Amino acid sequence: MADQDLDQMLRRMAQTKVSRRGFLWASGLSASAAVLAACGPGSSSSASPAATTAPSVSAGTGGSASASPSAAAAVEVEKDLFMYNWGDYVDPENIEAFKQQFGVETFTYDTYASNEEMMAKFQGGAKGQWDLVAPTAEFVPAMVEQGFIQKIDWSKIPNAKYIEAPFKGLWWDPKDEYQLPKDWGTTGISVRTKVVKEEVKTWKQFFEVAPKYSGRIVIVDSPGDVFVAPLKALGYSLNSVDPTELGKARELLMGLAPHVLALDSDQYNTKIETEEAVLGLTWTGGILELRDKPETADVQYYIPEDGTLFWLDTWAIPAEPPHPEAAHAFLNFIQEPEVQAKETMTNQYATCNSEAKKFIDPAMLNDPAIFVPDDVLAKLEGAQDVSTDPLRLQIWEEFKSNIG
Amino acid sequence: MASLTEAAPAPAGADRPRRSFRSGALTALLLAPASLWYLLLLVAPLGIIVLFSFGERGKNGGYAGGFTLDNYAGALERNGPFVTSLLMAFGGTILCLLLALPLAYFIATRGGSKKSLLIVLLVVPFWTSFLIRTYAWLTILGPEGIAGFIGDATGNPSFRILGTPFAILLGVVYGYLPLMIFPIYVTMERMDRTLMEASKDLGAGRWATFRQITLPITLPGLITGSILVFIPLMGEYVVPAILGYSRVFLIGNQLVLQFLEARDWPQGAAKAVVLILIMLVSIIFYIWFSNRGRKVREVSVL
Repeated sequence: MADQDLDQMLRRMAQTKVSRRGFLWASGLSASAAVLAACGPGSSSSASPAATTAPSVSAGTGGSASASPSAAAAVEVEKDLFMYNWGDYVDPENIEAFKQQFGVETFTYDTYASNEEMMAKFQGGAKGQWDLVAPTAEFVPAMVEQGFIQKIDWSKIPNAKYIEAPFKGLWWDPKDEYQLPKDWGTTGISVRTKVVKEEVKTWKQFFEVAPKYSGRIVIVDSPGDVFVAPLKALGYSLNSVDPTELGKARELLMGLAPHVLALDSDQYNTKIETEEAVLGLTWTGGILELRDKPETADVQYYIPEDGTLFWLDTWAIPAEPPHPEAAHAFLNFIQEPEVQAKETMTNQYATCNSEAKKFIDPAMLNDPAIFVPDDVLAKLEGAQDVSTDPLRLQIWEEFKSNIG
Repeated sequence: MASLTEAAPAPAGADRPRRSFRSGALTALLLAPASLWYLLLLVAPLGIIVLFSFGERGKNGGYAGGFTLDNYAGALERNGPFVTSLLMAFGGTILCLLLALPLAYFIATRGGSKKSLLIVLLVVPFWTSFLIRTYAWLTILGPEGIAGFIGDATGNPSFRILGTPFAILLGVVYGYLPLMIFPIYVTMERMDRTLMEASKDLGAGRWATFRQITLPITLPGLITGSILVFIPLMGEYVVPAILGYSRVFLIGNQLVLQFLEARDWPQGAAKAVVLILIMLVSIIFYIWFSNRGRKVREVSVL
C-alpha cells in the first residue's frame, strides 16, 4: 500500500505546475534554513579567534607588547598558527599583539581540559595538526618517547635566557631540548569562607568537612590532581602506586564521591563565584581574581599544610608542525619580559621568567598563593607520570562513576 | 513516468537472459555507492572495534595486539552504567512518546490551515546546534535562572536543578522530541479520516476510537519514532555531561573515560560492543513485540 501512495505522489508531482509564488516561498524557506544552519557553532577554531579579537584593538599597537621585537622578527614567519592549549590560558591581548607584530592572520586556539585528553588526541594520530601544545611537565617524557613532540630550535628563541635556573635540567627534560617552561602553580583548596565557617587548611580537614556541604563541592577533572588530596591527607607520596596506600586513598575518595557536585576543570571558578559550590579542590586560575570583587571577597585559596602538588606547565612543539617558524616566533614572543608579565597578571599563575618579574604588580609578586614563598615550596611535591597505573585508573573510574 | 507502473516482473521471452544481465549490472551499479559507504563507514569501523576489544592496552595507552577475553569480563562485571543508560533511554523514550502523541495528533487532525506553520515552528529550532541549545538550558536552569528563582521563593538558597536526573531528562526530551513527533505526525496525517467517522457512526466514544482505530494505524510511526529516540539516547553523553554535571554515570561517560582519560582502547571497545549488542537485542525484541499479530508490515515513509 505504501508503494501505491509513493506512486501516486510521484505522479502528482510530475503533473503539477510550480507556481511562481510557490517557488519563491520554497526557496525563501530553504535560504533561511541555510542561514540558520550556518549560524550553528563553527569548530572551536572559528569561534575562538572571534573571542580573542574582542578586547580593545588599541592594546595591540600601543600597549606593553610594543617592546622592541627581538631579532627573530626578521625571519619569514608563516601566516597562520595553530595552538592546542588549555582553555583561557593565553592573554587574548597578547595574541592580538603577536598577530600584528608578525603579520600572522589566522590564530587557531583549540582547547583540551586535561593532559589525558591531549595525550589521547595525539595517540589517535594528530601529527601535523598543531604548531604548539602546552603539556604539564611530567607528560613530556611520554610524548618524547612516542614521538609526539620535536626538539626546539633554541637559536630562534633568544628570550629563553630569562628562564630561571630552578626550572632547567629537571628530570622530565634533562638537557632542556623539548620544552620551554610556561608557568607553574599549585593544587589547593578553594573556600567560600562566608558559608564554610570551619577551618579547611589541610586535606585531612577537607575530607572531614565535605559531608556537611554535600552537593556543593567542585573538583578539577584530573586524576593526577585528585589523588593528591587523599594521599597527602594520609601522609603518603602523591605519586604512590603502592596498592596498600592506594587502597586507603580509595576509601577516602569513595567517602567523598557522593558529596561532589561536579568534576569540572573549565568552570570551577564560575561555580565558586555563584555559590553553587562552596568548597573546591582546584587550581588558582579564576579563583584569585574573585578575591578582588566585593561580592566574592570571602573567597580564599589555601595551599594545604599537609602538602600538595606543585605543577609546571610547559610549551612544546608537536612533531611535523605546519608552521614551525611561527611556532618559534611565538615562543620567543611570549617570553618577552613585558609580554610574559602581562600573561602572569591575566592568568594569575606564577612565571618562570626572571626579567618579567620586573613588570609585574608588586602586590601579585608578594601574593603567596601565586608566587609561593621558598619555604612553602620546599614542602611541595612534584609529579611523576603515573597516569597509566592500572590500579589508579580503576580507582579513578570508580570514583567518577560514584559522584553525586 | 509510465515506466513507474511497470512494477511487474520482466515478461517471459527470448531476450530474458540478456535483460536480466543488464538489469543485474544496472542494479549493482546503483547499489554501489551506498554499499561502499556502508562498507567503509559502518562495517570496517565496526570490525576494527571488535578486533580492538580482544586486544590489550599498550604501555602508554592505545591498542597493542593480543587476544584476551578480560575486557569483556570487565565490561560485564562493572555493568552499572549499562543499567543506568537503559533506564534513562527507556524513561526518555516514554516521556517523548507521551508528549509527542497528543501534539502530533493535534497538528494532524485539528491543524487545518495552520498545519504547515506549526510544523515549521517545530522544525526551525531543530536546525540550530544541539550543543548551543543545551548550553542555553544551563543558563535557564542555573542559579541565575529558574533554580535561583525557586530557591529564593522557597527560602532554600542551595536549591539546584542542574546536576539532577530531572535536568538530564528535561534536556534529553527537549532535544529528541522532534525526532519522535515527525514519524507519528506523518502516519497520522496519511490516515484515512473516514475510518474515524465510521467508528463514530458505529457508536464508539472518542477514547475508544483513538484506542482502537487511530493508535493501531499509527503504530508504525510510533515504532519508528521510538527507535529513532531510543538508540541515540542509549549512547547519549553530551546532555548528562553538561546538564547533569556527569553525576549520573552512563555508558557515554564510561566510554569517554576509557578512550580519552584511561586511554584503554581495548576496554572501551569491549564496552562499545556490549552496548551495540544490547541495543540490537532491545530493538529486535521491540519490533517483534509491536508487530505480533499484524499481517501487513507497513513501513513509514520518513
